Amino acid sequence: MLPRLHPAAFAVLSVFSCAAVPSHAQSATYSSTEPSAFREVVDETGRSVRIPQPVRRIVSLAPNLTETIYALGLQDRLVGDTDQCDYPPDAQKKAKVGGGINPSVEVIASLHPDLVLMTKSYNRLDTVHSLEELKISSYATDPHTVVNILSSVKTLASILGVPDTGVSVADDMEKRLEDLQHRIAHLPPKRVLFVVWTQPLISTGQHTFLADALRHAGAVSIVNSSQDWPQVNLEEVAKLQPDFLVFAESQPGDASREVEKLATLPGWKIIHAVRDRHYAVISDAVNRPAPRIVSAIEELARQLHPKAFAEKPPDANKETKKETEKENPVSRRLAFAPFSMNPSPWPHGHTRFTGGCLCGR
Amino acid sequence: MRPLTFRKLFFQCFLLAVILFFVVILALKFGAVPVSLYALGRDLLRVLLGQSSQISSDYGLIIQNIRFPRILLGIIVGASLSVAGTSFQALLRNPLADPYVLGVSSGAALGAILGLIAEPHLTLPPALGALLTPLCAFLGAAATITVVYFLGRRQGQIDSTTLLLGGVITASFLSAVIVFLMSTVNSSNTRGMVFWLMGNLSTSFQKSVYWFLAAGFLLATAVIYASANDLNILLSGEKEAMHLGVDVRRVRFVVYVAASLLTGLAVSVSGAVGYVGLIVPHIMRLIFGSDHRTLLPTAALGGAIAVVIADTLARIVVAPNELAVGAVTAVVGAPLFIYLLRRRVA
Repeated sequence: MLPRLHPAAFAVLSVFSCAAVPSHAQSATYSSTEPSAFREVVDETGRSVRIPQPVRRIVSLAPNLTETIYALGLQDRLVGDTDQCDYPPDAQKKAKVGGGINPSVEVIASLHPDLVLMTKSYNRLDTVHSLEELKISSYATDPHTVVNILSSVKTLASILGVPDTGVSVADDMEKRLEDLQHRIAHLPPKRVLFVVWTQPLISTGQHTFLADALRHAGAVSIVNSSQDWPQVNLEEVAKLQPDFLVFAESQPGDASREVEKLATLPGWKIIHAVRDRHYAVISDAVNRPAPRIVSAIEELARQLHPKAFAEKPPDANKETKKETEKENPVSRRLAFAPFSMNPSPWPHGHTRFTGGCLCGR
Repeated sequence: MRPLTFRKLFFQCFLLAVILFFVVILALKFGAVPVSLYALGRDLLRVLLGQSSQISSDYGLIIQNIRFPRILLGIIVGASLSVAGTSFQALLRNPLADPYVLGVSSGAALGAILGLIAEPHLTLPPALGALLTPLCAFLGAAATITVVYFLGRRQGQIDSTTLLLGGVITASFLSAVIVFLMSTVNSSNTRGMVFWLMGNLSTSFQKSVYWFLAAGFLLATAVIYASANDLNILLSGEKEAMHLGVDVRRVRFVVYVAASLLTGLAVSVSGAVGYVGLIVPHIMRLIFGSDHRTLLPTAALGGAIAVVIADTLARIVVAPNELAVGAVTAVVGAPLFIYLLRRRVA
């Protein structure tokens, strides 16, 4: 999910990252307290990694991984994260190592992490190499589907020494997804256009976890592209006429403003979904392959298939109550205990999204 | 100087206009929605007869609202960039001069990006919100032109070398600012920024924008064309031109401002479409000679043809996805430019 940067931007960024790599001589200084054991694992990019056990100090280089660490209840071991890691709000208070694309390797080293977590689509291989020079272990995830996200959570939990929590978090996500399927599986999927960017129009391809998340929400993207973030021809959209436009917004009101803007333009006016204001707005959690994506999927399903949710519990309050119960089963209460103090209990607080999505802000 | 016969000018322009017409027809035909030439001809006839209401089919809507406005945009952008390039090359007596070298495009791109960053923080009515980015791009271009113009002045006179160098330095400085913004600003809008740097004609605008662009293009081109003779004389050298009674300073200022206006207009709607302002005037000069009275109109038509072809390719090569038109012009333009350069040397 790396944004396609201008070549010059890459050049400049690589210069920064090269400058940040200290020499071998220095690297000895950075070695953390001698670990008692190592564990050999193959990460999701196929790289074999030696991870010191137990993992006491973690640096996360992607917002979705930070969220996963919090979901596993391991936030006390998180010693650093990126500028984009804004959820849960507590993550903003952690030591910052820079952006996900251009983190400061020096700052990472100064935090003496046992393990640095990364995501292939968001971070750069250069960072891995720089960390290798410093003998800092790193593990990369690479989820392409919602099922991948579940297994990714379990694997991470196992590496971090909390396999049971991982299983319970993943099982809960799975259960919620299954409940959702019971409600909407019999309905024909809505044909949607997921809008990443409007001018020019950028959507999501078929092989991203985002497209898979749409499928779980009872939607199918009209864009059939093998590229991950294709620029789509507006004519194609006018030809295929999606039932709904889907926006992931970081600030409330962004999407409705955008649609009103589009409705004034001749090219967009002829899209029925724009003309009739058929659009769904979900939190930008959908952009992050982390446990919270399930909430975003539920949100979208509710907007696309309101009937499936109206039938059984007719009372809206009941619905919310049921939801809260589902949020906090006994098995998970342990994992989320630190959030009970929080005014908006995670992972259901859709009110505070202040930017920072995985698509490379 | 050979006398300019109206017949010759008319013949050259007519030839290019016919080519442009066929290119536009082909551009209308190709795209995500297939259209037959017969249907196209029939509907074109209806439009000419004032019966456009009879075109009701879905594809008609697509062509009317998406494809045709886009081709129109390509024509204006291509013609503007090409005329601007021709003027800069004559003014600076440097065949390498074009809007990109002078930093004007980078300024416009930076303006657009600042607009993208600011937009979510301003509460604007939707119609104005859609205009904010192009407006900022134009302001960025105008500001850069002013700065580069003053950088290029030495003892009250514009010095070609200083101006070119000033432009190059300004361009690289502005690019650095853009990279800085892209890697630090935490905004959902950064995604769209990259596309401003590549040049793109897929943006949809309100009708008024097209009128504004067309009026700006005609005005600026007319101003430059009025000085076409002076530009010809300037080619033989500044002192010579002064001795022949040309008000060099006035011509420079007027043409410089008009050409910059053209660049600002083009970049504000399409981002940085490269090489058009560099290559097209060169080719037209090879074919039709370097008399600016014929070169300016032929370059305008040639630029329109080039950009419409490039954009059609950008639309159909990876359909239903798209390429940035700037990528197409750069891929074709850069080798062509090297070929022309080598030929000149030989």
